[in-house]
Amino acid sequence: MNSTKVIDAKGLACPMPIVRTKKAMDELAPGEILEVHATDKGSKNDLTAWAGSTGHELLKSEEEAGVFKFWIKKGE
Amino acid sequence: MITMMTAKDVGTMVKHKEELFILDVRNQTDYQDWRIEGEQVESINIPYFDLIDGVDGVLDQIPAHKKLLVVCAKEGSSKFVAEQLAEAGLEQVAYLQGGMKSWSEHLEQVLVFADERMKVYQFLRLGKGCLSYMVVSGGEALVIDPSRFTDVYLDAAKHEGAKISHIVDSHLHADHISGGKQLAQMTGADYYMMKSEGAVFSFKPLEEHDRIRFAQVDLRVLAVKTPGHTPGSVSFFVNDKLLFSGDTLFVGGLGRPDLGGKAAEWAQDLYDTVYGKMAAMADDVIVLPGHYAELDREVNESGYVGAQLGVIRAANELMKQQDKKSFVDQVVAQAKTETPPNFEEIIAINRGVEEATAERQQELEIGPNRCALHHTHE
Repeated sequence: MNSTKVIDAKGLACPMPIVRTKKAMDELAPGEILEVHATDKGSKNDLTAWAGSTGHELLKSEEEAGVFKFWIKKGE
Repeated sequence: MITMMTAKDVGTMVKHKEELFILDVRNQTDYQDWRIEGEQVESINIPYFDLIDGVDGVLDQIPAHKKLLVVCAKEGSSKFVAEQLAEAGLEQVAYLQGGMKSWSEHLEQVLVFADERMKVYQFLRLGKGCLSYMVVSGGEALVIDPSRFTDVYLDAAKHEGAKISHIVDSHLHADHISGGKQLAQMTGADYYMMKSEGAVFSFKPLEEHDRIRFAQVDLRVLAVKTPGHTPGSVSFFVNDKLLFSGDTLFVGGLGRPDLGGKAAEWAQDLYDTVYGKMAAMADDVIVLPGHYAELDREVNESGYVGAQLGVIRAANELMKQQDKKSFVDQVVAQAKTETPPNFEEIIAINRGVEEATAERQQELEIGPNRCALHHTHE
């Protein structure tokens, strides 16, 4: 997947992964894709809920060796 | 300035029915699933990610005269939001240390009963609705349905100058991890549970010990179970006064029969218990259950969850002059399919067939209790 930008939020505890994600997302144009890497276990639920409430689309998520990766498409 | 509150502080406030306003900043589904409740606790839910750019939008939703507590899953986000609220000019802003994880693990100890023969304490796990007990007599203590926070029971026994000599589990728990095995290892106490529940480690089977006696305590085991049936739960009748009813009988009604997937068979056993052994018990027997669903409704004026058997019987149609078939039909019709979170893994751990790290145990237990849910709005 072609990500426009990658955010490394590994090792950061809640709320920082979302704070960073939101900041980065503000700088993207609609349709562009943000990739987020995080290790906080709550990040999956929270990113899903956040994307849903803001109109962005969580395209994909995966977990590998304790690292959660998310691809979020910026909404209109 | 913001302050920190511990789960113990919140427990004390809930117990004393003090006013508290909670801003829960977890996401909506978590909040809907379970939250801090109490008679004087009011809460609203605004996810922290809606407050990243500022808290001005929520200020008018927060009452000025109440103590405010910000709550999240672990702590970080609540602190983040609390700081912003304080900067916006709110006074008396606190956050919950350790978040809902800590709340899930806090036990509140309450004296239930005391006479010349014994003293009985209830331990309320407010964040989960689980109850455990300690019966103290003549320097010995018996623990019923201990949670995995074994230090709490060790401290309580020490405070009473007693040694934990007996531990019983009323059934194989599906909603929380039992501390029975660990507590037995730490104290050398005898640990009893039903053999039919399938635990693979060594313990004393209740099938062979239907009476436990120590000091001035005489405990009789009432089995709801008949051989060959899968799910089972026993009750403990102590000194003809106290009925520790496990998952059989709650303040709000009868237990849920569905976890083993054999509701009808379980309901028949339940009928035999309710209309057999329990029917013969006096109205003033105090019922002390293994769970509650709604604290406000089930806690009594003494501050513990429990009620006289006569009162429960009078309020419960199912316990009054039913024939077996109609009883079974009604219980089966009321059975719910909703199960406690992670119940299969929790059961496997309680049977001793699986092991889990402390962190995993914590994760597995997070969330609502669903063992006692169904009977509250009958």
